[in-house]
Amino acid sequence: MSKFTKEMVDSYANKLLFNLTEEENQMVLDEFEVIDETIDLINKIDGIDKLEPMTHALDAFVVDLREDIAEESIELKGALRNAGAVEGREIEVPKVVE
Amino acid sequence: MIDKSILEIHEALKNGVITSEKLVGESLNKSREIQEKYNAFVTIVDDAKGIDVTDSLVSGIPFGVKDNFSTKDILTTGSSNTLNNYVPIFNATAVEKLLNAGAVITNKTVLDEFGLGGTGTTGHTGVVKNPWDRIRMCAGSSSGSACAVAAGVYPFALGSDTGDSVRKPAAYCGIVGYKPTYGMISRFGLFPFASSLDHVGVLTRNVEDAAIVTDIMKGKDPHDMTSWDSSNIHLKEALTGNVKDKKLFYIKELCDINNYNNPSKELVDHLENFHKTLELCKELGIEISEESVDQKILDAIDSVYLIIACAEATSNLSNLTSIIYGPRSDKKNINEMMIDYRTKGFSPLIKRRLVIGSYVLQKENQERYFKNAQKLRRLIVDIMKEFFKTYDGLILPVGIGPAKHLDGSLDKVSSDTVALDEHLQIGNFGGFPSITIPNGFINNLPVGINITGNCFEDENVLNLAYVLESKMPYKNQIAKEVN
Amino acid sequence: MKKQIAVIGLEMHCEMKSNSKVFSSAANSYNETPNSNIQLLDMAFPGTLPVVNKKCVKDALKVSLALNCSQPEYMYFDRKNYYYPDLPKGYQITQMDSPVGVNGKIEIEVNDKLIPVLIHDVHLEEDTASLDHYFDTSTIDYNRCGVPLLELVTEPCLHSAEEAVAFINHIIQMYRYMDVSDADTKRGQVRCDVNVSIMDEDAKEFGTRVEVKNVNSISGVQDVINYEIKRQAELKEQGRYSEVEQETRRWNEETMTTIRMRSKVDAIDYKYFVEPNIPKYRITKEWLEEIKSEIPKLHLERKYNYIETLGLSNYDAGVLVKNKDISDYFEECIKIGIDAKMASNWITTSIMGYLNNEEIEIKDFYINPNRLKDLIDAINNGTISNKQAKEIFNKVLETKKEVKDFLSSDNAQISDEDTLISLIDNILANNQSQIDDYHNGKTNLFDYFVGQVMKETRGKANPVLTKEILNKKLNS
Repeated sequence: MSKFTKEMVDSYANKLLFNLTEEENQMVLDEFEVIDETIDLINKIDGIDKLEPMTHALDAFVVDLREDIAEESIELKGALRNAGAVEGREIEVPKVVE
Repeated sequence: MIDKSILEIHEALKNGVITSEKLVGESLNKSREIQEKYNAFVTIVDDAKGIDVTDSLVSGIPFGVKDNFSTKDILTTGSSNTLNNYVPIFNATAVEKLLNAGAVITNKTVLDEFGLGGTGTTGHTGVVKNPWDRIRMCAGSSSGSACAVAAGVYPFALGSDTGDSVRKPAAYCGIVGYKPTYGMISRFGLFPFASSLDHVGVLTRNVEDAAIVTDIMKGKDPHDMTSWDSSNIHLKEALTGNVKDKKLFYIKELCDINNYNNPSKELVDHLENFHKTLELCKELGIEISEESVDQKILDAIDSVYLIIACAEATSNLSNLTSIIYGPRSDKKNINEMMIDYRTKGFSPLIKRRLVIGSYVLQKENQERYFKNAQKLRRLIVDIMKEFFKTYDGLILPVGIGPAKHLDGSLDKVSSDTVALDEHLQIGNFGGFPSITIPNGFINNLPVGINITGNCFEDENVLNLAYVLESKMPYKNQIAKEVN
Repeated sequence: MKKQIAVIGLEMHCEMKSNSKVFSSAANSYNETPNSNIQLLDMAFPGTLPVVNKKCVKDALKVSLALNCSQPEYMYFDRKNYYYPDLPKGYQITQMDSPVGVNGKIEIEVNDKLIPVLIHDVHLEEDTASLDHYFDTSTIDYNRCGVPLLELVTEPCLHSAEEAVAFINHIIQMYRYMDVSDADTKRGQVRCDVNVSIMDEDAKEFGTRVEVKNVNSISGVQDVINYEIKRQAELKEQGRYSEVEQETRRWNEETMTTIRMRSKVDAIDYKYFVEPNIPKYRITKEWLEEIKSEIPKLHLERKYNYIETLGLSNYDAGVLVKNKDISDYFEECIKIGIDAKMASNWITTSIMGYLNNEEIEIKDFYINPNRLKDLIDAINNGTISNKQAKEIFNKVLETKKEVKDFLSSDNAQISDEDTLISLIDNILANNQSQIDDYHNGKTNLFDYFVGQVMKETRGKANPVLTKEILNKKLNS
């Protein structure tokens, strides 16, 4: 019995705000199996557990933080121009239930 | 004239042999023709205008922009139905710098949806075909850019490279694809796929053009904290042609034909051709060495990539809800509205990738999958950096042969994926400068090799490619259909 | 049932003060006009990237230091992924892995007693957009999106609503003293999540923890805690303690009850991972030292100093430190040599009364410590009476002149000894029978003579001097 189930895949998709077809669901299951096997291989690589996860592309960044200077707001018209619905100066959506 | 190099075109513009207006017209006409044949563009900028020529080498010259770069007042879709009506209000920094230098956008090119994919088949406007052979793919995700540059629509186009998205299509289309060290070019305005792996890159028909365009695009950007000051790097000037005492290595496990069971004829030819190029390197005075890397590690590269890229993508694409941009569904419930939009807007491939990304980030799975992948990423990068103490670069063949056929091109993860097909991802793991140049033909179709060097060693890497290119007859080649 | 004790932990979110937002350069200032303080990132336009505000990092470190936390070697951020229409990126940039401060400890005052509070961590993050709800639609204003938030998480170490409220007030004071936040509860700048559980007095393990989210006022925190303690204790008493679930609840201000939002099994997995767009930023020892040196003395330390060193009452000291500007004013007074009690009296009565009436800040108050000193000096050297000082105080404020302008004029006290002697001689000469009575034992007539002098001078005779001269004349 695989540790990956159809229900599980659907639940992930659901949390990501989309639905999967039966076929797509099955493909994800197949891919999970492949990834899982490779991960088993990865975990067998010597000394892997002692490594620091690499979270950024470079280790040698020279970072400057931004000075605290406010810039003028972007133009409202442009800000709203791609929105599906606008009310006054704001974007409108179907009611968000708290 | 539009199929010449940047320097040649610049000369002609300066001397009045041609006008920018005429060039732009030529590029637009060519775009329409290419669109018919290969479906390379999301948008052709029909009202693009010529511009007064200045001393800037790209002034007045048309170029293409991958459709995941934000372009002000020009539709930018990421080749996704989720943004099929999105018209940005700002330019990506890389685009802005080229526009400021006087270059002219003539089209926006097709990609695999948001860059997730390597086939050029998942864009919302359809499949991009290879200009050498329409039944083959351009690879991806910078499919349209590679196709258009190869077909001679303009001398250069922007691409982005998260796994090999500039460098693989370049090989399949017989042109040059270069991604500089991570952060040399700002990512501001590039639609993110996997932020820690995403690079801006460029597709050209010769190494010098890649240097010229990158010299213009690079630089520290106050809008991108991962960009850095490269004012002491001058790529074009670094193309000295001197490679004496330079050292390159290749990885035995990837390049030895005996390592493959039942290799295809194409693979045999491809590796033979690669070794021929190595001989050429030696003739040029470049020292070539063979090095070994644990096969287990090589085999894991693609999974490391997939896990990290999918995880970051899951988060990066969370802004797509149709609230601020994107076509809304008519659902009257906010949750249903978002679900409908994402279900219809994303292609099946993306959805699968996002589910994987979500799974590996779950609290209970994160250690086993995501963190381990990040650890192996570090190990691979450490191994490479160790090699770079001795060598100026890694030289390897790109892919397992020429462009793959479009049927059977489904971008599916499978256990028999060979490391040879995926090693370019190493360049993204470490943010290394990496360039692909064409190095021959198999079945009349172009193939390429890749040189990857240590971070910040872009000058060195480009110069090596420049010298090698000059000794092979593929520089500035324009695609011609072979079938 | 055994005696129950409550165990309370707080997560306190506070909007920080800065010119620009934490990751974008849009203005960080409250604005009624929707979408008037926005940059591209605040609406998550594809391709936009966060750029960290230096001041916010600095202020967060300042707080971390003031809470006696340890600071990480590298500053970096994490993404907290979830979907909600007020979160345009689909994730909040926050700190999970390596907060700006961990393992802190401070002392707060509850009923004049000091109790320790353990700080789990303090971290820097961004606020969300704000939603307005209508009949069947909602609208989104992005002004607040990206406003810097500091989240402070305590260990479950508080035991009553009173302690929790004292803690929140203490932190608000701290933030204001360090000028990192206005911590204005009326403008929703302070928001708390409250964890409450109860346990038998002698129990070794905590009871089931209930989290109440998004409590927007200090009185709300108090009500929530008292309500939850009561609710949980009642269930326990009825033998129904198993009905107390580890869950997230929400406070309903109208019904004054908490309502279940979701149980632990439905908890959202935020899929945290390190934000790759923000490189790890090294926090140098030098920078930390510099920041540390900029932390002012905080209110509790000042209060104890006022009581122990300056001899003020607990009450007065408490009043003085309530507002840092007033405390600073007081300390300036001490520095230029005003007697602590005098300064305290003037500040806590006349000055604060005036500030309240006029609704102005002490920074804008005309009588600065130097002017106050002129006034108090005049009292001390007998030039004016307390009553006159009050009058001059008001006149100075009215006319924006100096104290001395009112000392020399006809308003001023008569302190010239010769003038007073001849005046007194005159009075005594006209009151021989009273002098005789006085000498015969009616000593309370002394006040009668003082009264006569005051009557003659319309109250302007220096009282000290007057008494001195009268004493001499009558008793020698």
